[in-house]
Amino acid sequence: MDIVKDIKNLLAGMGITGKHLGRHAITIQYPEEKWTMPERSRGIVVLLSDKKTGELNCTGCELCMRACPTGAIMVHAPRDEKKKRHLKAFTIDFSLCCFCGLCEDACNFCALKMAPMYEFSTDDKESLTWDMKTLQEIGRDVDYVDTRKKKKPVKKTEAAKPAGKPADKSADKPPDKSAEPALPEAKPATEDEPTTDQPSGNETKEGEQ
Amino acid sequence: MPDLRTEEFVVNMGPHHPSTHGVCRLILTMDGEKVLKIVPVVGYLHRSLEKICENRTYPQCIPILDRFEYVTAMSCNYVFSLAAERLAEIEVPERAEYLRVIMLELNRIASHLIFYGVTAMDIGALTPFLYGLREREMIMDLFEMTCGQRLTFNYIRIGGVAKDIPAEFIPYCRKTVSVIREKLNDYEGLLNENPIWLVRNKNIGVLPPDVGIAYGVSGPSLRASGVDYDLRRDDPYSIYDRFDWKVATRSNGDCYDRYLVRLDEIKQSVRIIEQALDGLPEGPVKAKVSPNFKPPEGETYARVENSRGELGVYIQSDGTKKPYRVKTRGGSFNQLQVLPVIGTGGLIADLVAIFASLDIILPEVDR
Amino acid sequence: MIWPVAFAELRPIFDWLYDMVSSTGLPEPWLSVVIYTGLGAMMFGVLAVLALYLVWWERKISAHIQQRFGPMRHGWHGWYQTIMDAIKLLQKEHVDVATRDKFVFFWAPVMCFVAAFLAYVTIPFGEGLIVADLNIGVLYIMAVTTFTIISLLMAGWGSNNKYALLGGMRSAAQVVSYEVPMVASILVVVVFAGSLSMVDIVRAQDGMFYNWFIFRLPFGPIAFLTYIVAATAEANRTPFDIPEAEQELVAGFNIEYSGMKFAMFFLAEFVNMFTVSAIAVTLFLGGWNGVFLPSWFWFLLKTFAVVLLLMLFRWTYPRLRVDQLMEFAWKFLVPLTFANLILGAWMKYAGWYW
Repeated sequence: MDIVKDIKNLLAGMGITGKHLGRHAITIQYPEEKWTMPERSRGIVVLLSDKKTGELNCTGCELCMRACPTGAIMVHAPRDEKKKRHLKAFTIDFSLCCFCGLCEDACNFCALKMAPMYEFSTDDKESLTWDMKTLQEIGRDVDYVDTRKKKKPVKKTEAAKPAGKPADKSADKPPDKSAEPALPEAKPATEDEPTTDQPSGNETKEGEQ
Repeated sequence: MPDLRTEEFVVNMGPHHPSTHGVCRLILTMDGEKVLKIVPVVGYLHRSLEKICENRTYPQCIPILDRFEYVTAMSCNYVFSLAAERLAEIEVPERAEYLRVIMLELNRIASHLIFYGVTAMDIGALTPFLYGLREREMIMDLFEMTCGQRLTFNYIRIGGVAKDIPAEFIPYCRKTVSVIREKLNDYEGLLNENPIWLVRNKNIGVLPPDVGIAYGVSGPSLRASGVDYDLRRDDPYSIYDRFDWKVATRSNGDCYDRYLVRLDEIKQSVRIIEQALDGLPEGPVKAKVSPNFKPPEGETYARVENSRGELGVYIQSDGTKKPYRVKTRGGSFNQLQVLPVIGTGGLIADLVAIFASLDIILPEVDR
Repeated sequence: MIWPVAFAELRPIFDWLYDMVSSTGLPEPWLSVVIYTGLGAMMFGVLAVLALYLVWWERKISAHIQQRFGPMRHGWHGWYQTIMDAIKLLQKEHVDVATRDKFVFFWAPVMCFVAAFLAYVTIPFGEGLIVADLNIGVLYIMAVTTFTIISLLMAGWGSNNKYALLGGMRSAAQVVSYEVPMVASILVVVVFAGSLSMVDIVRAQDGMFYNWFIFRLPFGPIAFLTYIVAATAEANRTPFDIPEAEQELVAGFNIEYSGMKFAMFFLAEFVNMFTVSAIAVTLFLGGWNGVFLPSWFWFLLKTFAVVLLLMLFRWTYPRLRVDQLMEFAWKFLVPLTFANLILGAWMKYAGWYW
């Protein structure tokens, strides 16, 4: 009996939808209730600060800038006459960012992290370009595992650097000297990349603009 | 009474149309409800991914190719990594291979669940869509806890995978898999034997195997026509030969069989995942690959079995950090080509059903 | 002043209304006009709100079937969400297509809306709650609900859009086809009740539930099911919603309508759904008959149960194809309902019933 079978199957379908009618919703009411994002969730990129000193971990090595496939990261860290980098500007254009996480992987200094935050939409494209200050402020709340434990002296130099920067060169020298033993540790990483990566990074930037 | 004057008329189905799965435009010549001629117009979603890849280093290509076929971005990650690994002859660690298989199969299930929902929705049943996405959401949660993203993963990298799985992954994955296996009963109960579903799908859009092969159709759409061809088995990659699974095939090649093949594939993927979880070894998840990955000069073509057919990447390397040429091949393009062949002569409602059952997505067509 | 025949339960309200209006000292013909207009407006208002609530209800039901929340923002579980939607639609701009047929395009939604409400003249909401107990009530309803096709055809033609035209043509073919089995399954009831008047039909089912026609007719469940199927098609709902099949025709006949014009089509669809449910209750499920509770409550309860059934249909089943729809009507439903009718008439003649 075809008809009997058909009606049975139609009723079975109704049974399934009817069964769900009494169940609880699996969705949540978004602005009131929020999903707890997994720890690894790749939201916005934030700049991390040292837990003790509160200074940025970033050394301005530009690795993230070169790793970025869309050219969203812009690092301005000119070298002084001692070939030491001073981080002047660090901006991320989130309208270009594709949240791939390559910058996080490239960074050797725990300087940036993709935090599980996703609520940064605006109605203005311009305001999606975030500068160093903003990124640092957001990054202060972000917990992270410091993987550069061996390089504790580096932290000191970084902490000392910005303090010394505005001062005169003469006043700058003592902290620099004290930091010198640490520099060789940091340098191999910074110098390794520029030699090989510099052209690519520059080209990417130019290509985007 | 004078003779009734009738004429054909042209309808633009798309680029914005609810059932073209994106921005496909079909120029239909219709006689009333009957479709006389179909001309697909592609290119509305063209993002020139291949050209962009030529300006990126190899690791940077992977997030770009995530967007190539975003429903199963893991496969895109994987196929590019596979090609690059073949170029540079990199040995991938055992654990990474297992993780890759788990991720690929999870993504295949996710894609087929979308297919289930979208096809049902195109034929008019709105509820299966939500049910399909409900289980897919669990898979997306798994991906998010592993790699941090739900859609564009950038997880499978050259030489392995980006990160090891977190501790809660395996229990949650087992739960997901068992939930999907259980919910498959609901899916089948809703549609499989439903008489309306049967009359809408049976003997509609029959794709003969020779036509399918001639047009380069691959994947589940071809297997529904009875061609027993699965790259996972016939052009082995990764470690699929270690698992006990079957290639799902059907014989009629109509919309209904294409639908059933995909449900069968979900079951097979569930089996593969369970075996892979059982056999997951310890060890590193990524081979040592320099950040400045430079494969030697040469060319290679890697292909994997995606949920939409053969997904291939051809890389020509000139020995620098950037590929000289990247060419991608997606199954949807060939399936869109075959649409005019099997869709002509039917009604417009059939065309929608055929379009849905071929599981065409437009990013893969337009690149 | 002639009162509506059987509005017994609402008599105090009408008396109060009459006192109010007559105290202004209007001469007689105008007095009647004002009062009847007022009554019409009341009816219209009640049904419009009812339709809005059906929309809300459908959204909630579908949401719960799909394990979602549905509207939750406005009030408790979004109870006035659809009212806000209606206000929003009222404020929206009308987008007119340049190549439309102006007259037809404008009047189609109005006609659809009016046709949907006309049927309520003869629907008994409870004992003594009927606007006019016409002695040809069933015939009147059949005649009036068919107006809807004309409006859909007008919308399809007037929009000057190919999708809309296809939708209009589909709806015409569909409604005309399903009218036949629908009438044939209703006629069994008419044969047994011996009257076309809705009130008489309900009175013929007095008593407990086993007196309802669905149980009393020789093949009552079949007549009921065929009616429900045909009524679903009449109300253009899934699985028979091919006129507006959004996956094929985007939105069918109402593709070019926006703002309140669209809302009129949309509400008319829900009013139609309530109409066919109310007719099903009146003809097959004993109308207002029930115990303990007031008659209108029973009527509404049963009607909402049928509405729920239609909603479950919609959220469970896929859509039929247009030719399969026709085939189903002419090759299956029409023979079945006619066989049922002939058998029923014969049994009535032979006296094999209780």
